Amino acid sequence: MKVRVDPERCQGHTLCFMRAPEAFELSEIDGHSTPVADEVPEDQEAAVVEAVRSCPERAIGVF
Amino acid sequence: MSDDDEARKHPRVHFDRHAPEYRDRFEEETRGFHEGCPLAWSDTYGGHWVAAGNRELLAFARAREKLSNDHDVHGERRGYQGINIPAPARGRGIRGGFLEMDPPEQRAYRDALNPYLSPAAIARWIPFIDEVAHACLDERIESGRIDFVDDLANIVPAVFTLAMMGIPLKKWELYNEPAHAGVYTPPHSPETARVVEAHRAMLKDIGATLHEVRANPRPGLADALARMEIDGRAPSDGDLVGALALLIGGGFDTTTALTAHALEWLSQHPAERDRLSRERATLLDPATEEFLRYFTPAPGDGRTVAEDCEIAGKEFREGDRLWLSWAMANRDPAVFPDPDRVDLARPGNRHTAFGLGIHRCIGSNVARTVFKRMLLHVLDRAPDFVCDPGGAVHYETIGVIQGMRHLPATFTPGPRLGPGLAETLETLQRICDEQGLAEPVTVRKAEAKIR
Repeated sequence: MKVRVDPERCQGHTLCFMRAPEAFELSEIDGHSTPVADEVPEDQEAAVVEAVRSCPERAIGVF
Repeated sequence: MSDDDEARKHPRVHFDRHAPEYRDRFEEETRGFHEGCPLAWSDTYGGHWVAAGNRELLAFARAREKLSNDHDVHGERRGYQGINIPAPARGRGIRGGFLEMDPPEQRAYRDALNPYLSPAAIARWIPFIDEVAHACLDERIESGRIDFVDDLANIVPAVFTLAMMGIPLKKWELYNEPAHAGVYTPPHSPETARVVEAHRAMLKDIGATLHEVRANPRPGLADALARMEIDGRAPSDGDLVGALALLIGGGFDTTTALTAHALEWLSQHPAERDRLSRERATLLDPATEEFLRYFTPAPGDGRTVAEDCEIAGKEFREGDRLWLSWAMANRDPAVFPDPDRVDLARPGNRHTAFGLGIHRCIGSNVARTVFKRMLLHVLDRAPDFVCDPGGAVHYETIGVIQGMRHLPATFTPGPRLGPGLAETLETLQRICDEQGLAEPVTVRKAEAKIR
């Protein structure tokens, strides 16, 4: 599974980081999110799917 | 207005969120919106659209260049009325900070303030927040009686907000009265004259703070605004006072409202309270988001349509007013199964309590952190608290903030941990000054050292 955060849509709500802290990192400056790696480790897939479902801006995609 | 123009304003509802009965009818009215008209026209307050569905709010967030937050208080642009419907009488002549601005101006303010308010920036303050919360509880802990609003949830957000701004902590009461009473006091109240006076005193102190930090710079949000430039020019003092007043309004009343409602709910559901305390490692984050969803302290924001356009299947004309109801969207059954139930572990909780899009509450990390720290200390030091339903006072109207004025409770008394509030604030002021706690995270990375 691959994950992507759309930087145009992300507004720094930080819910993805709450749900999958190992898969996302937040900017120190404004809290906007980026994936730690494009490829999601198998043991984090469920957490990342929950992060996708929790994003208010629907800014995260998995494929 | 032509018949054609009237015809597009459909479906029609009567929506008056400032009416006292709205609080009691909120769930019923909200269901009505979701069952047939998540985007409707109401003739109230000069006529405006009401968006109550999650999908609709997302569509508006993504059409941001077609909507304006501008409040043209001096009649210099297109006369737009900002984010309140109707525009409030109080504070007339002052824009509501960057929440009543559009990009690129709004962006400049956010860029200046974000490094003070990011998750990393706020995490540094946790020992400070804990110390204030403990001092508040120490004042009441031996008596076994507390008013969660007056004695805790009003104080911690106020003191912390002033600390971040670079305003002396001892001034928290000067700011506290207008920040809360200014929201809950209706215009016809006999208290209004007093509240207006308190509001004026607050604005005067904000202005004085700006002059002080220019003459003798000290770190904080006030300093960041005093130094900022937009295209090489400093904003007007009026706009800077508006921005600082927005930070006060956003920092004080909202977190108080969330904390009071959550504590009242936990008192009514003691088994859930005990579960939250026991399973805090996994439950505190989702429970906080669920309280945000369910109580949505800031229930919505207004916008003005900036050009003729179609959004979410509706035709809009330039100048149309629009109410984005974060609170009603948070009960949208298409996104939140069983939406009127509190589920502390709710999955997929993509709530809109902090808004959507470029105006996402800039203090969201403050609100979450202060709420969680206050809640944890209550759960640890007064775990068997029982709120007194007879003494709980909710805001008469919830059109601006869904808040509470009082929430008295009793609990098994316990021991003090330190000195009271006044002495603690003196100590914390010294620590703020010595350690430069209010510097942005780009300057100071270290956590506050209290002991």
